[in-house]
Parts: sequence; C-alpha cells; structure tokens
Amino acid sequence: MIETLDVVWRHRIFYLFVLPFAVLTILFGLWPILLSIQVSFTASATALRPNPTYVGFANYLVVLSDPAFLASLTKTFLYTALSVVANLAFALGVAVLLDSALLTRGNLFFRLAIFLPVVTPDVAGYVVWRWLFDRSFGAINAMLEMIGAPAFAGLTSARTAMASLLIAELWHHAGFYMIIFLANLSMRDKALEEAAHVDGATAWQRWRYVILPQLKPALIINTVYALIQFLKTFTVVVVMTKGGPNEATNFVSYYAYQLFDQGRYGEATAMATILFAIVILISLTFYRIADREVAA
Amino acid sequence: MAILRTLLGAAAMAVAGTLPLQAQQLTVWHDLGDNGIKWFEAMSAEFAKSKPGVTVKSLSFPTDQWFGRVIGALNTDTAPDLIYNNYERVIRIQDQTGKVSDMKDVLAKVTDKGFLGEDDIKVATYKGKQIIIPIQRVQMGFGVRKSWLDKVGEKFPETWDDAKRVANKFRDSDPDGNGKADTFGFGLQAAKPRDLIHMLDLFLFGSGIRNTLIDPAGTIMVDEPAHAAVLEEFLKTYTSYKFVAPDTINHSFPEMYQGIEGGRAGMFRVGDWNVKKWDGEKVLGGDFLVGPWPKMPGAAQNYVVIGGMRGVGVPENAPNKALAQEFAAFMLSKAAQQASLENVGAAVRKDLDVAALSPRSQYFAKAEARLIAYDFPESIHTFYPELEAAYHKKLMSGIANPPADWKPFITETAKEMRDLAAKLKAK
Repeated sequence: MIETLDVVWRHRIFYLFVLPFAVLTILFGLWPILLSIQVSFTASATALRPNPTYVGFANYLVVLSDPAFLASLTKTFLYTALSVVANLAFALGVAVLLDSALLTRGNLFFRLAIFLPVVTPDVAGYVVWRWLFDRSFGAINAMLEMIGAPAFAGLTSARTAMASLLIAELWHHAGFYMIIFLANLSMRDKALEEAAHVDGATAWQRWRYVILPQLKPALIINTVYALIQFLKTFTVVVVMTKGGPNEATNFVSYYAYQLFDQGRYGEATAMATILFAIVILISLTFYRIADREVAA
Repeated sequence: MAILRTLLGAAAMAVAGTLPLQAQQLTVWHDLGDNGIKWFEAMSAEFAKSKPGVTVKSLSFPTDQWFGRVIGALNTDTAPDLIYNNYERVIRIQDQTGKVSDMKDVLAKVTDKGFLGEDDIKVATYKGKQIIIPIQRVQMGFGVRKSWLDKVGEKFPETWDDAKRVANKFRDSDPDGNGKADTFGFGLQAAKPRDLIHMLDLFLFGSGIRNTLIDPAGTIMVDEPAHAAVLEEFLKTYTSYKFVAPDTINHSFPEMYQGIEGGRAGMFRVGDWNVKKWDGEKVLGGDFLVGPWPKMPGAAQNYVVIGGMRGVGVPENAPNKALAQEFAAFMLSKAAQQASLENVGAAVRKDLDVAALSPRSQYFAKAEARLIAYDFPESIHTFYPELEAAYHKKLMSGIANPPADWKPFITETAKEMRDLAAKLKAK
C-alpha cells in the first residue's frame, strides 16, 4: 500500500494532468452506461422515478423472446458483415491505388475527395443520399432513365433498402479506413518487395505474400472499428428509412429507439445492453485472435 | 418617542411602497415552436395586468425531446411550473411519473367555461384525474391546392370517387404546369406507427367511423364491413392506386410537409395550426381550400376531424404551483384565447373575434363544419401504444408487399390484433 502511494506520489504530476480526463470519462462515459444497465432491470413505468421497481431479468426475457428483436438482430449482423467487407475492400483498393505510381498526378485531390465525406456532417450527407435515391425525382433514377436502364427501387423496396444504406455509409466512412491503410502502406518495408521482385515473384505474389502481411495492423484496427461502427448503425436509418420499408432496415439500435418512443424504457435499455455486450464481445474476440496472429 | 416611532413606520411604509413587487417567473414547456412562444409572450403581458411582477417564460422543444425532458424533470423534482401539449402526450407523462396534478378544483373555480363540452372534459380526464385544462381543440380538415383544381377543371372533392378522379388528374395532368411528371394526388406519411395510423384515423373518422382499431369495450373493429371498406381504399391509396410518391413508405411528418409545401402533393391534411404558416407567401401563399374529408362509399356523412385536445397541466412538484394553477385557469379567459387563435390558430372559446383571420383560418375558428372527435383509445386502454405499433407493422407489411386481394389480409390482420389485444390485456 505504502509502495503504491509512493509510486503515485512520484508520478504526481502525471496523475494531476490525467485526473480531469479520468473524471470526465467516468462522468460522461461510464456513468451513463451503468445507469442504462440499471434501467434495464426496472419496470418501464417506474424506470425514471427516484425509486424504480426492479424486475430482475424480466425485460431481457421479453426482448429475447420477441421475434421482431431476433429478426432485427439478424439484420444487424448481416448488414454489419456486408458493410465491414465492402468498406474495407473499397478503402484498401483505393489506398493501394493512391499509393501506387499509377496515380501520382492528382493524388492529393483524390485523397481529399475520398476523405471529405468523413468530415461532412452525417445527417446532411444522408439527407442528400435520400434525395439521390428518391424514386420520383432522385438523380440516380434520372440517370438510369437517361440510359434506358430499369429504375432502382432504392429505399422504397425491402429488397434494395439495405444495399442503399450500405452505399450511403460506404460514401461516408470509407475515407477514414483509407487513411489508416495509407498510413500503414507508407510505413511498410519496400526492400522486401524489391527482394521478392529480384527472386522472381509475380506482382500478385508480391502483393499477397509481401505487402498484405505488412498491412495486418491496419486491417485489425479498421476491422474492429468497422465492426463497432456498423453494429451500432443508427443515424443513417433515422434519416433515410426509419427502419423500413417493412422492417427491412430495422437494426437493433433503431428498434431500441422505437421502444423508447413508446415509453418502454426497460425493454429498450435491455436491448441496448444486449447490443453493447455483443459489440464488446465481438470486438475483443476479433482483436485477441488477430493480435495473436500478428505476434506469431 | 411614540411620535418618532410613528414617523419611522410611515417612512418605512413609504419606502416599501416605492419598491417594485418581488418579481416571479412561471416557466412553461411546450412543443409549439415560435408561434407558441409568441402566444405565451402575449398571455404573459395580459396576465401581468392582474398580477404585476409576474412573467411567463415559455420554452419550446421538439416533441421527442419534450417527452424526455418533462419525464426527467418531474421525476427529479426539477419540474417547470406548467407543461403544455396534446392530451395523449400528457397521459404518457402521467403514466411515467404519476406527478401531474389534478386540475378538477382549478377548473371548478372558473366561472366562464360554458364553451367546454362534456367530451372536452372527458378527453382531459385520465384514470379519474383531470390532467389538463383544455385550451385548444385540434381540428384537421382536408386540403386541396386551389390552383391545381382550377388547372384540371375540378371542384373541391366531396366524395371518395371525386377525390380519386382528382388524384389521377393531379398525378397525370401536370397541374403545376412545369412540364414534368413530378406531382402526386396525396401527401401522406407512413414510416412510424403514429404516422400511418394517424392518416388512417383521418380517413376513418372523416367518414363517420368511430374507432380506428379498438372500441372502448376492447373489441377490435378492423374487419367490421364499413371499417374494412375504408381501410381497403386507404391501403390502395398507398399501393395500386399510385396516388402517393413511392418514397412515402419511408416518410414521416417532416417529409410529408416537404411534399406538401414543396408543391408535389395536391391533397393533404390541414391542421388548424398549419393554416397560418401555409397562408404565408413563401409557403403555399394561401393557395389551398379546406373542407371535410371525402365521403367514403356507404358513409352517411363526412366530417372535419377533431384530433384531440391540447391543454395545460401543472406538475405536483411545480416550483410555483398555486400561481401556475392561476395562470392555467387564466388561459381560458377571452384575452388568452384570442391570443391563442391569432398565434396558434386554435382555441376552445366560441366568442372570439375572427374577422382578421384568413378564410381558411376562419373555417376552423368558427367551427361551423360537421365535426367528429377521435375515440381517444389511449385514455381507456393503457396497452394501446403497443397494439398500435403492431397494427402499424402489419399494415406496413401489406403496403410493402401488396396482396392481390386485400380482404383476406384485413381478416387476418383483425385476428392478429384480437390475439395481441387479449395478450396485452392479460399482462
């Protein structure tokens, strides 16, 4: 104990500087999460009262036996899987292209063009995408009509709504992943590629066995971040589809939000807590596995 | 010494008399936007005439935020003095907090209240407690773009057949004359449970049907013949008739208003509170007619719909509860009601001066149309929001994948709703 205090005292300046941020993190980061978990164990009608009625795991049982929640969870997983693959593949492709000698001219322009949507307010961006997809006056269908192609149902059909959201989110997020890949590409050891070239490796072999293994740190960071991001997909749904059409984009975050709207606070926070647990579990598992492989 | 004391006392009284009365501020939370803020400012000035030093400060929140803030404030003893909103929203506040005070005694002391009917009081009462003082009737009529009617050579549609004919022309005959096929018959919404069911409410009540989904005894009414006939036409409006923009399936209030105000929809709901804005030059410029909802086949009469009651409630833990109750009662006075009519377009008194209002505002203010009131299921069945959400889900599945024949779909929907209502009732 005395030793610990001694260590703290020796590093007092460090702790002094850290203290405000630690307090803010606990106050605005951890405390709301704990409160939300607490609400998930209370009866909705009393959830926000000073002395709520605790109902144990009743809200969790209701949520887990709700077919609509299970359907929503399945859709969330599907959307996350598709989005993670699409975003990372696109970002990696663009990063490799921008890193190559093929795009020396206008390189900065393309980097900016792809990164700009990341700093664009998401709501504004998605409102524009909603207009682009509009069946009656949207630019996408106007172009399709011009070239004589069949109309794209976009947000109005359960079959195409998820793909439409994926495209809008790809536009918004891919630039961020691209920057991480570009940073990793700039740090790689180019001598290894030259050596492989001298040894007669083809372009594909150099990419697959020399460059790609060196991109593992960026792949891990991007995958974990993308998993967290897309499991929690919310804003794009609120702006573009409101969970529709016919529940096709009713992901867990939005479903929980709808329950809040009906005053079903206990079930809504139970749903949010389940999602929180899934996000933590998937992210940590992936991170552990990938980290072990990198170390090996 | 006595003289000195008297002189000092008189001097003290004189000084006290010159000091202003201690200022007192009432706070009211509502969701009426800028027009609502202007209305409360006008009432504050009027109230101060009889209560010098008292001011009323109003804060307007978007409806979703209003809920969260009011519930949180009432539960943590940081309540405002007054809350103002639709009756069904105050019911939810009462359900979540149990801290909305009973206004029966407050209303009992108001002498000039003959304009409030039995139904008005019934709406304001929840589980034996009068949770609001009714201040504004919410009237919703059927609006049609006048210039578009003129362009396609039609008159204001009285029947559903008229409305269908006009809708076809609005879609196909370029009523705005811009040379593009970019207009639709109706401006409706569907995305959230309240969006679609609210639209259905208007079609049903407008034709004299008394319940949207469930009657006060708990019977599901969806497949009752007259009801089913309106429901089928309503669902076809979103699907096979192609009267609405295809994206309507994802539209909520903001998108519906964009369609109406942006000149894409020719027929729409007009709330009494919409008129002032839509009379404005930069919006519709008054280019619309208002009337009752189209008469559906088999209906005896058509109506303008009274969609509830907006009113004022006082939290049990309001910081200035007695004064807040006084102000709530004052809101029924002629001056306060006149300000309400002029700023928000609605009131409950019938003796107000309407001469300065536009013909469309007068239509509502005079309340001369045939009126029919909602069934207010929220005040009877506490499980109603959950039932309504399930009903919305079912109707949306039909709109997304329209069946060839709607009749079996409606029968199946009614059965599902009966099962769910029984389950929810037993909870």
